[in-house]
Amino acid sequence: MLIVDNIHAGYGTSEVLQGASLEVQAGKVVALIGANGAGKTTTMRAISGMIKPAQGRVLLNGKPVQGYGAARIAKLGLAHAPEGRKVFGPLSVEDNLLLGAYNHLPMFFGFRSKAAHDLEKVYDIFPRLRDRKQQSAGTLSGGEQQMLAIGRALMANPKVILLDEPSMGLAPVIVQEVFNIIRRLKEAGTTLLLVEQFAKSALEVADYAYVMEHGRIALSGTPAELHKNERMLAAYLG
Amino acid sequence: MVVSGALMGLVYALIAYGFQLTFATSKSINFGQGELVMLSAFFSLSLLNWGVPYWLMIPGGLLFGVVLGLVVERACVRLTLEQKSEGWILLTIIFGLLGFSAAENIWGRDDRPFPTPIPTEAMQFFGVSITPLEISVAVGVLAVMGVIELFKRKTLLGKAFEAVSADRDAAELMGISARHTIMLSYGLSGLVAAMAGILISPITTVGPTMATALILKAFAVAVVAGLDSGFGVVLVGIFLGALESLTSFYLGSGWREAPGLILLIMALAVRPNGVFGKASIRKV
Repeated sequence: MLIVDNIHAGYGTSEVLQGASLEVQAGKVVALIGANGAGKTTTMRAISGMIKPAQGRVLLNGKPVQGYGAARIAKLGLAHAPEGRKVFGPLSVEDNLLLGAYNHLPMFFGFRSKAAHDLEKVYDIFPRLRDRKQQSAGTLSGGEQQMLAIGRALMANPKVILLDEPSMGLAPVIVQEVFNIIRRLKEAGTTLLLVEQFAKSALEVADYAYVMEHGRIALSGTPAELHKNERMLAAYLG
Repeated sequence: MVVSGALMGLVYALIAYGFQLTFATSKSINFGQGELVMLSAFFSLSLLNWGVPYWLMIPGGLLFGVVLGLVVERACVRLTLEQKSEGWILLTIIFGLLGFSAAENIWGRDDRPFPTPIPTEAMQFFGVSITPLEISVAVGVLAVMGVIELFKRKTLLGKAFEAVSADRDAAELMGISARHTIMLSYGLSGLVAAMAGILISPITTVGPTMATALILKAFAVAVVAGLDSGFGVVLVGIFLGALESLTSFYLGSGWREAPGLILLIMALAVRPNGVFGKASIRKV
């Protein structure tokens, strides 16, 4: 579904990614773990078109998309819930969700009724968003904003979702809640690439995982395989 | 008299609103906006002279404003924003100068009257003397601003517009093209400028310099109100317009331009984000 092949990317003259490759198969949850500054978020940004890779290929459903702008890649079925959530603060919760489905809805009128079914689905997963649908997104708590960011990505009915550090800055209880939701999405057959610093929790939900170090993939395997790897244990799971 | 001043102030508010539209999406403004007002007014006058009926002249003039707004975006703004430079400041000023010279060459330097079917004799309302023409200005300003605000709140495209102002990167991730949204904001800003030109021309006459003072005061209103509050520009615009007519009555009409400029200096010194402004803005 999503193949990243030997990409190099960075900001200005500093090259953060030095030939990273990974693959996400349809219906699987794949985790990308690693220390701060290893290049996880940069990988996500290079996939979704927020930065342009200097080299390498990104294949979405077999189609090369590297070098496309973010809006164009989103139209092709990739939803990226970015680091720091980036909800539209002044807009209401419901408007945020509606904008998640921007590509599928009419521009002027009738978009609300066309989106009603998907909205209900998202509200069923996140009942708290239904309670706050008229509230402006900027006034939500961190956990609620994260749920909104995930819900907004779901609204696009995407082929692949990129989820960048959903646990960042959240209380442990809320982190658990977020991981429960990821588990539910997995059961529903969602294709997901998950970036996490909490390697343990990430390995609990993932089908497959990549470990990133200094802009390259250092290790990869199923969670069971990684749990047997001594280097992995010492560095990330200790 | 204070009331007619306040109504004139609504025109400042309308032009200031045009600044806000483009600032919201792109953090840039068109410093040649005054020339857009003037060129659209001249074009509308030409339409009337070519025998175009009055009701058709208005959409024609507005369309001309939209086209000019899009030209400004394409010629002066887009490339500099892509290079993350502030070059649009200089380029929009240059565009304004070009527009000014073009107007002088095409239509001449003289001020010309702008005909209107709306009566200009003053009427009395509760002891206030006011002309139907002035009322038409107020109605026109509020109608245009109202329609644009409704568009922003009620349509998905309008919400996308707000999303780009709130977080451009995140909007792109939703599949919203920031470039198209910025084009839209410049088009709307041109429409607003043309509307201001058509509304004010019957009162002030049309000439190459008609918008020079107007634009300074619109800028004062935008800065005093903050570059993100549509409601704020209306209040500040009305306040400034009323203040100006009081000043010219009590101090003499030579002092007419003073309050706007003093207000601008005070606002920049005391509350640089504007009385109604929230976010900190980058000074240019």
